[in-house]
Amino acid sequence: MAENTLKGFPPARAPQPSRGPGALGRFLAYFLLTLGLSFTLLPFVMMILSSFKTNTELLRVPPTFLPEQFTLENYRTIFNDPKLPLLHFYSNSAFVAVFNVVSTLFTSSLIGYLFAKFEFPGKRLLFGWFLTLMMIPSQITMIPSFLILSKLGLINSLWGLIIFSAVDAFGIFMMRQFCETLPNELMDAARIDGASEWQIFLQIVLPQLRPALATFGILHFMGSWNAYLWPMIVLQKIEVRTLPIILTWYNSTHTGQGALVMAATVMIMVPILIVFINFQRWIVQGFTMSGFK
Amino acid sequence: MNVLRKKGSKARGGLALAKGRFVLGVTLPLLVYESIGVFVLAWAFILMFFDYSPGRVGGPILGLGGSNPFVGIDHFIEMVKGTSVEASLFRISLKNTLIFAFAILPLNLAITLPLAYLLEQIGDRFKAMYRTIYFLPVLTSSVGVALIWMSMYDPQAGWINAIVRFFGGTPVTWLSDPRAGFLGISVAMWAVMLAYLWQDYGYNMVIFIAALQAIPQELKDAAMIDGASSWKAFTKITLPLIRPTMLFVCVMTMLSSFQVFDIIQVMTNGDPGNRTQVLMLDIYKNAFRYQNLGWAAAESFILFLIVMGVTIFQMRVLRTDWEY
Repeated sequence: MAENTLKGFPPARAPQPSRGPGALGRFLAYFLLTLGLSFTLLPFVMMILSSFKTNTELLRVPPTFLPEQFTLENYRTIFNDPKLPLLHFYSNSAFVAVFNVVSTLFTSSLIGYLFAKFEFPGKRLLFGWFLTLMMIPSQITMIPSFLILSKLGLINSLWGLIIFSAVDAFGIFMMRQFCETLPNELMDAARIDGASEWQIFLQIVLPQLRPALATFGILHFMGSWNAYLWPMIVLQKIEVRTLPIILTWYNSTHTGQGALVMAATVMIMVPILIVFINFQRWIVQGFTMSGFK
Repeated sequence: MNVLRKKGSKARGGLALAKGRFVLGVTLPLLVYESIGVFVLAWAFILMFFDYSPGRVGGPILGLGGSNPFVGIDHFIEMVKGTSVEASLFRISLKNTLIFAFAILPLNLAITLPLAYLLEQIGDRFKAMYRTIYFLPVLTSSVGVALIWMSMYDPQAGWINAIVRFFGGTPVTWLSDPRAGFLGISVAMWAVMLAYLWQDYGYNMVIFIAALQAIPQELKDAAMIDGASSWKAFTKITLPLIRPTMLFVCVMTMLSSFQVFDIIQVMTNGDPGNRTQVLMLDIYKNAFRYQNLGWAAAESFILFLIVMGVTIFQMRVLRTDWEY
């Protein structure tokens, strides 16, 4: 800031004590921001507090704010429910998320590297074709994809979810952009040393892509963890379901037991929160980089 | 010398061969994948001209024909002027989707842009904390968001009606009163829109913050030195400079609200009285509840046209370069 003011020139007016709005404006800014903050936080607070209340307390009118009788019973119930082995659904969700992340990271970096660093006949055509396909929104391909999965007998299989999401347009863009910044000398040096093309990709290119892989991997993990519509279509049997679908099922079979549902909702958010707290900077960066949700 | 050159070219030839093998090894599976993609797309396109249900035994190719007859553009004619339940439901869904998208956009901008601007004005120490908290709902599973808001909207024990009672109002059955409305939009629709907004505004805020940070400090300082008021600096300098971001945010918000599904499916499932039935929900119900896949494919095509229209508009308008 000091560099930007006109050096050596006396200020034409009395220098302002601070840049930007005055004390009143600053107060107003904090006030409005805190108001918005409370509105953002309140539903979370409500969810967490409700999950520690007894169900009778939750149904009381008017509602209590803090739990009068702090109880862990809801959490104990959902973890021990014989009809809802929560850990089983955690492992379903984790299985799909991990395989989704690994497969998309692999295909994205490989295809991105190919389009960034290799020249071959038909490259533009192949890439254009690819772009067009990827721009087609998923709701139009949802119905035939479902029919294909059912022909293949992959309905009610977690693999059905994984196979159809193994290639991701955004990931390929991101990796292609990243690969373009890698110096060609890096690969050429390895070629002279006698490394095979696959060795170059796996041992030289992939490690260079680490930041991009991490950002994209985290975003993709969260997307997969929270996915709802497509898993709901593919996973129709209860025992193969992922967490978001099991949560709605649990809600519809436990009407009037809001405390249990809130505890289950807390539990589905915990892994995402852990990921977010640890990788916050990368996540926000990744979201800003492109229109990815 | 001659030998050396020969050796070099041989090595180069070997390299080219190795590169070629690698390219082939990657492009061939990609080609297969893209071909499957084309096949899926073609299937989606063909389906909308058939009255198709996977339960019936159809013709030999993809089960089309036979008891899954070809109906041409009948689905689309029906959508425009048909009197069947499906046709009127489609029109209701289309209307609700448009209401949803066109109400969400201004509301979202009215929240995100001022808040992002204000956030840029305050000290760095708090900035990160505020941004983190505003961003939390974006990461929350939309099913979770829906369940939280359902519990807040609960007519008896929900917090929202508790606030209404506190101020002396009569409690509202937020998610199930088909008659109650405000500004011509049903209360249930407002209720799901509020939940949707709550989940979504952190995303646009983060994008706006990034754009505001990219504005060079000299420009803001220059305005200050010239004695411009904060409001003037905002409208004359900040707004024009973030125009590309504004457009991007508008289009992305539109696109995702046209495709809204999760929150509404969980919270109301289209009720009360189809007041919150949106296109994606109608497509889902037709395809996977009523096995009416041909009709659902035709509906998806309409949604696709809308989405494509917005995307093309975006590409046309966003192509303007902006430098500062």
